[in-house]
Amino acid sequence: MSAPEQQACSRDFAGTIEAAADAEAWLMSQSGALGLPEDTEFALNLCLEELFINAVQHGRANRATISIWAEADGVRLEFVDDGGPFDPGEAPAKRISGPTDDFEIGGFGAGLVQKFSRRLSYRRSDGYNRLLLEFGAARDTNAGSEAPHTT
Amino acid sequence: MNINVIEADGGVTHVVLDGRFDIAGAQGADPRFSALAQSSSSVVVDLAKVSFIASLGVRTLMVSAKTLIRRGADMAVCGANENVEKVLRSTGFDEIVPLYPDFASAAAWLTSRQAEFASKKP
Repeated sequence: MSAPEQQACSRDFAGTIEAAADAEAWLMSQSGALGLPEDTEFALNLCLEELFINAVQHGRANRATISIWAEADGVRLEFVDDGGPFDPGEAPAKRISGPTDDFEIGGFGAGLVQKFSRRLSYRRSDGYNRLLLEFGAARDTNAGSEAPHTT
Repeated sequence: MNINVIEADGGVTHVVLDGRFDIAGAQGADPRFSALAQSSSSVVVDLAKVSFIASLGVRTLMVSAKTLIRRGADMAVCGANENVEKVLRSTGFDEIVPLYPDFASAAAWLTSRQAEFASKKP
């Protein structure tokens, strides 16, 4: 992993659905401080929600740590959780193939993460899933330049 | 997320969503959509004021669409912005529910479907 261009902002969250909403609000405040374009904010928010829900509902994670930082070629999101091993980059991208009234609902999260991130790398170490997502948006030069602070 | 249900002309139920279709949005919308799926015959879900959706929101729409289709009713979606539409198409939602740019075109499709269905009734 390359060194962050800016100091990473990180925060721990409990492994609950309620905490997922808090994590989304926190991430949006951080991405706002980074002055990211709307499309990148959407992609970050989407990937975070999918990863958090999956870690809690399927991985039974008790904790998740989220970090975000900017680099010269875009922004990085690191998601670390203590749930069961799961690599969303290797999971099949499920999609309904219709038209039909007998379609299976669910399992779309991994495919969305693959679609909305530029690059995804996963490793499992010390009982943690460590996922690094890259998003390819440059910073919005019209936005404020103040660097975010670690919380 | 706010949900406003309008009974429009031609028996079309216009469901206008406003806000974020995130975890909280999906949890709030589930009971409303469940009731609509059991009672309505033609539903247009208007996403023009929805700024965000993820798989939980798509799931809410899919569950509702499945119930409607199995009842012989229909759903269409209109007004999705570029990112919301990308999510819907990525999951294959557009394979079961057509996407339209605006309410008028979605309602016109539903009205023609109702007429087609009525003409096939014995």
